[in-house]
Amino acid sequence: MNFIVSANTDIGTTKSTNQDSLSVKVINTPQGRMTFAILCDGMGGLEKGEVASASVVKAFDNWIHNDLPTLCETPIEDYMLKNQWEKITTEQNRLISVYGASQGTRMGTTAVVMLLTQTRYYIMNIGDSRAYEITDCLKQITEDQTFVAREVALGNMTQEQAECDERRSVLLQCIGASDEVYPDMFFGDIKENAIYMLCSDGFRHEITPDEIYEKLQPNVLFDDNTMNRHATELIELNKQRYERDNISVLMVRTF
Amino acid sequence: MLEIGSLVDGKYKILNKVGQGGMSAVYLAMNEKANKQWAVKEVRKDGVKDFEIVKQGLVAEIEILKKLSHPYLPSIVDVIDTDDSFIIIMDYIQGNSLNIALEEYGAQPQEYVINWAKQLCDVLGYLHTRTPAIIYRDMKPANIMLKPDGNITLIDFGTAREFKEKNLADTTCLGTVGYAAPEQFGGMGQTDARTDIYCLGATLYHLVTGKNPCEPPYEIKPIREINPSLSSGLERIILKCTQRDPNDRYQSAAELMYALEHYEEIDDKYRKKQKQKLSIFITSCVLTVACVIISLWGFLSAEKKKSENYDVILGNVEVASDYYEAITTDPTRVEAYLGSEDFDGVIEFLIKDGELNSEDNSILVKLKGGLDKTDNRGYSTTINVLEELKSANLENYQRVCYEIGEAYLFYYNIGVEKDKYATAASWFQYARDKYPVASMYCDISDCLTNISKFSKAEQYANLYQEYQNLWEKVKKLQTNSDLYDDDLKLRIWNEIVNMIRNNATEFCEVSSQTDILNVLATVSTNANQITNTFLQENITKLQNNIDVTTTKVQSVTKDKINQGGV
Repeated sequence: MNFIVSANTDIGTTKSTNQDSLSVKVINTPQGRMTFAILCDGMGGLEKGEVASASVVKAFDNWIHNDLPTLCETPIEDYMLKNQWEKITTEQNRLISVYGASQGTRMGTTAVVMLLTQTRYYIMNIGDSRAYEITDCLKQITEDQTFVAREVALGNMTQEQAECDERRSVLLQCIGASDEVYPDMFFGDIKENAIYMLCSDGFRHEITPDEIYEKLQPNVLFDDNTMNRHATELIELNKQRYERDNISVLMVRTF
Repeated sequence: MLEIGSLVDGKYKILNKVGQGGMSAVYLAMNEKANKQWAVKEVRKDGVKDFEIVKQGLVAEIEILKKLSHPYLPSIVDVIDTDDSFIIIMDYIQGNSLNIALEEYGAQPQEYVINWAKQLCDVLGYLHTRTPAIIYRDMKPANIMLKPDGNITLIDFGTAREFKEKNLADTTCLGTVGYAAPEQFGGMGQTDARTDIYCLGATLYHLVTGKNPCEPPYEIKPIREINPSLSSGLERIILKCTQRDPNDRYQSAAELMYALEHYEEIDDKYRKKQKQKLSIFITSCVLTVACVIISLWGFLSAEKKKSENYDVILGNVEVASDYYEAITTDPTRVEAYLGSEDFDGVIEFLIKDGELNSEDNSILVKLKGGLDKTDNRGYSTTINVLEELKSANLENYQRVCYEIGEAYLFYYNIGVEKDKYATAASWFQYARDKYPVASMYCDISDCLTNISKFSKAEQYANLYQEYQNLWEKVKKLQTNSDLYDDDLKLRIWNEIVNMIRNNATEFCEVSSQTDILNVLATVSTNANQITNTFLQENITKLQNNIDVTTTKVQSVTKDKINQGGV
């Protein structure tokens, strides 16, 4: 299994800082090639959201260097990753809230973290950033931890109502601003000739799943140039439609 | 940034930094002149993009707060506008905020929470009733200071405004916005007093369960699912406070206050207790009714049995004393005395042979003295049967006495007129009220008794006076005899005639012969008018008696004349 990766981010039309942080790495390990990707959408008062998102990205970067090699010495079990990632999340949650308190503010970040091995995908999600698997269709892997998503799940709201509800940006939890963080974990078998896409909420509010699928399906993306170009096109489309948030998208193509 | 130890406004010495907000810091300061501690809140101008906007908000906020005076609110005493900061002097509140208590000790005791809730309700009620109403909008444990005396103070009116002005398109996290009520996401226009009620409900939930409603599962469950020992009354209150639709919540702080003061009453336990009380009451009511019905049924069937027994005994009477058994079975019934369609009463039974002899007399006398009754265990008790009859039915008693009196009067074969009357009168006296004739018999009896007395004592003046009385009574008896039916009339007339015959001489002394003869003639005439064929024999007897008596009276006068002639 081989991987082609791309990562694009844009400050958007309104904000003075880009609070999104992202990172994607293809790693050679004893268990074959792997891809690690993380995308964090920071938020908070006094333009410090980027601190939180960057902090989480760095923490996972450290994990790749310090812990992943050890983990790769034996076959990777789902629970090992889950435990380690949860530990990092809890630690980051504590650090960010302590830092926020010292600065007299509160800040936080969403996080969607993905590890693709030769056989499995491992995804952890906190907040409303998303992971998609694009094969012959667009499949959303993660579930939004937002107020409206929960209302929809509880049957208090329809999907249409949720999309235009004022509360659509209210997260149930995030790293740094919640007392406790309870990440969602998703595991599955990896598919060949598929796109694994992570995006911030800014990327998906104004464009439809059909538009995403049209531009980002595996059949049209064969190299990193095309991937970058199509991602940029969609980001521009978002901006044309008056998306105010930072916009980030990250893709991994398997072949 | 104020330095520790520096003087603000020449009098407030900054002692320590006690808190840090988004763009403000709070210091403990000492007014050295007054030796009193104050809190100094510094809002820094640098680092804030549009300080003028912030300042306007702050000034408006402070203007509101300055007017407030409530024991659970800090009061603002001074506002100082310096070059690089904006300084607010206010009450220094000792103690820690409730979120620290939650962090350290977890869920708080229910009684404390309810006590705090009442105080918060008091504050909210105060704020909501200002004109214009002040909506606090940011109720959460971090904004509630717990003072060392156990009371609370609601602090920090600024943060709510900070949040309010946030761009809603920005991503926010539930934890950072407090226990925002659903309508708080929808723009400020829709928030009202009920928003604070929601936030207070969520705060109480957090305090009493230790679970932050902003953490998974992000919902306010019934509190007893978390801690079953909590009050169901409080559970109801919290659930009602945190309804999604503001119309389903308590509509005012006062309403919530009332509920908090009576939370025990809406408690399941209390309701259960009340229900238990009610069911005990209903059960005892039902039992009472059942007992009444059973005893009534028992009483009625006993009565029925008794009356069955009574009838059976009366139907099988062979000797006069058998009547005693019937009478003691039910002393309140009169059939045993007076008889019924099916059988004779004791009186009729005794006079069936046409006379009342001394044996019969003893049977009737015994009724007066009371009858012995043997109960189940073999003990015998004396029942005063006539008294029982009297208390059960006075009229029947009088009738029985009258009938017995009559039996004596007309059938007693004792011979001595005075004794016959005396015995009869001893019965008639009980029937005087109802039967005028009984009264007359009693009077006659009295006269006869007196006559006997006087004649023995040879008091002739009194004696003749008594005869005078007796004659008057006899005449009266005759005059009143029309009131009675034929049978009784005949008997009365018979008595009158007998009386005249027996006392002809004396009556002639106290009255004129003509008078006496007139009475006899009237009786005779009246007797002839009776057409009842069954009584013809008696009438004939009476007429004969009248004839004999008339002759006797006439002879008395003749004797008198003869004597006078001599």
